[in-house]
Amino acid sequence: MSAELFVVGLSWRTAPVAVREHLAFPEDELGHVLSDVRNAGGVAEAMLISTCNRVEVYGAAAPAEGARAVAEVERALLARRGSAPAEVRRALYEHVGAPAIDHVFRVAAALDSLVVGEAQILGQLKDAYARAHATGAAGPILGRCLERAWSAAKRVRTETAIAKGAANVSSVAVELAARVFGDLGGKQVLVIGAGKMSTLAARHLKTAGVAGLVVTNRSPERAAHLAAALGATARPWGELPELLAKADVVISSTGAREPILTTALMKKVAKARRWRPVVIVDIAVPRDADPAIGKEDGVYLFDIDDLERVVAANLAERGKAATAAGRIVDVEVAHFHAWLRAQKVVPTIRALRDHFGQVGAAEADKVIALLHKKELGPAERDAAIRRAIDLVIAKLLHHPQMALKADESEALAHAARTLFPLEVVAPGAHGDHGHDDDHGAGDAAPPADGHAAPAPISRPAAAR
Amino acid sequence: MSGRELSATPSLAFWVALALYLIATIGLLTGFLRARPELSRQARLVAIAAFVCHGIDIGWRGVLSVHPAASVREALGFLAWIIAGGYLATSIKRRIDLAGAVLVPMVGVVLGAARLSPTGAPQDDLTLLGRIHISLATVGVALFGLAAALAFIYLLEERNLKRKRFDAASWKAPVESLAGLDAMAQRLVMAGFPLFTAAMVLGMIWTSQRKLGMARPEYAAATITWLCYAGLLGGRLGLGWRGRRAAWVTVAGFVAALLVLTIYFVRRAVGA
Repeated sequence: MSAELFVVGLSWRTAPVAVREHLAFPEDELGHVLSDVRNAGGVAEAMLISTCNRVEVYGAAAPAEGARAVAEVERALLARRGSAPAEVRRALYEHVGAPAIDHVFRVAAALDSLVVGEAQILGQLKDAYARAHATGAAGPILGRCLERAWSAAKRVRTETAIAKGAANVSSVAVELAARVFGDLGGKQVLVIGAGKMSTLAARHLKTAGVAGLVVTNRSPERAAHLAAALGATARPWGELPELLAKADVVISSTGAREPILTTALMKKVAKARRWRPVVIVDIAVPRDADPAIGKEDGVYLFDIDDLERVVAANLAERGKAATAAGRIVDVEVAHFHAWLRAQKVVPTIRALRDHFGQVGAAEADKVIALLHKKELGPAERDAAIRRAIDLVIAKLLHHPQMALKADESEALAHAARTLFPLEVVAPGAHGDHGHDDDHGAGDAAPPADGHAAPAPISRPAAAR
Repeated sequence: MSGRELSATPSLAFWVALALYLIATIGLLTGFLRARPELSRQARLVAIAAFVCHGIDIGWRGVLSVHPAASVREALGFLAWIIAGGYLATSIKRRIDLAGAVLVPMVGVVLGAARLSPTGAPQDDLTLLGRIHISLATVGVALFGLAAALAFIYLLEERNLKRKRFDAASWKAPVESLAGLDAMAQRLVMAGFPLFTAAMVLGMIWTSQRKLGMARPEYAAATITWLCYAGLLGGRLGLGWRGRRAAWVTVAGFVAALLVLTIYFVRRAVGA
């Protein structure tokens, strides 16, 4: 099952969106493209991932066929885009062998993502592999590679801070609210205004499990529209003080020129709140909240600049975690390489087992037949079994002995000592000068001349 | 109680516990400041080992009849042990590495003071009532100590959040939410208050039996402690106090409790 892995594609690292969009494949075209690349010359296995940030083919080819497979896949990809500009060709990269494996693992661990540590890539990879597996394009090599890459990605996410903290402004509100409240279950969210950013932030909060979402706006129609889109409740603008008294998280994004959340209003609301904490996320520019309200006990006020600073701080931390994540990926890649190397000797191991099995089965059949045929006493039965075992040993050792003796470099002798737990005694170490080093081997040699190879005995694999 | 019993030499377990508390402190501080949860986790394991050694030391002293309620000095060693155990138990499910960085060194200092300070004159009038008083006060103050540590972290985290210090260690490290810290501190105070109140009542009866009079600074400090926590619970349950205000009162109450212990401790040590 030995194979060479390869990667062909482009990503945000090598191509701006204007170039990426030329090669990006829509969902309904993916099956056809996958079929093209799977049928390309030299390709044994293939899968295709196409996201907004990358279009890549991961594949396996027979040993030494990797370069040919890469060229053929590249041709197949570009053939799908008949008039692909030269920029697309220039942006394409190819990895064969170890760099390809390293690339797949780093992509899965989100170390190659535009936002390091983002969670979507893992799901996208799983979808891409599932599609390839379902159509028979992906086989055991890619399967094992992806399985190990996911395992590495999981380790990276749990053992490092690579995925910690919000990485975009709209999801920071969740992080800030969690800092104050911990679990957001049971919390009430008030959305003031109907800006795009506040809508996104509200969606993130809803996903985080808040109990209630209320929208208020000067325009009742817009409030109703946004509430319907969010699965929230729309309330009249005039109820703002009452709504503030009940809210745990407030997201404000109106187009007002003057502050809506004033100190006077928040002081009025504070008594009704009984000093319950409130997180106010003011995304509006100009700001909806008077900065002075942030000084009130239990009021945690954040504006758009704060959100951006949180994102910057989180991304900086993710960058630091990427070093540790890289070490984990290296370890997992090494494990996969070891597995891949082991696949090269699997046929030899299988043949060895078959050979041993055949020799053993043939002698076992003979001794069983003998025991059925003759009425033997206990001593004769023991002797027959021992003789059969001696014969098995002799037949198995015959060829290795010949080869060991013929090997002047002693490499085989070293290999034998590595493969078996042997205690090799130097000639003459026991003082038994009367015996040569063939003595032990002579016991195990075929009875005829000690060196003649026995006739091979074949039995079907099912009999073993 | 004899003088020999009071001056039981610190055991090997004590020295090991002290060393392990020191190592755990360094680990917890480094883990928190460098935002390395793995290091904090290892430091907590060291703290568990220290806690076990500490317990062995207390048990060994018990075998020598120097039990935790034998004197204020012994009570301090026991107080440190309860605080360490309380922190370790809480840290199983809560992210309170910073509390560990505050409490574990405190435990080490209190344990060291309890074992290495002068023994002082033996206390001949330590009745059963006195021992119950010491035991209840010890457990009550330990719970207040844990609550105060959590309140301290609350104040620190809240300050960072209000000042928007997104580069602070408390932002980078996985920490308990403000509401979580507040709720835990409240539960600890609610558990410690009845014990401390009972200790106060028994202490007054014991004092009147010994005819020592009530005009002593430690009694005034104990009364302030009790008033702090009584006011805190009243404010929390009746007026909806929470957050920063509650945290400050929790810390203030524990400072008063520490003052009580310090006065007792010094008084016993100098034999006054």
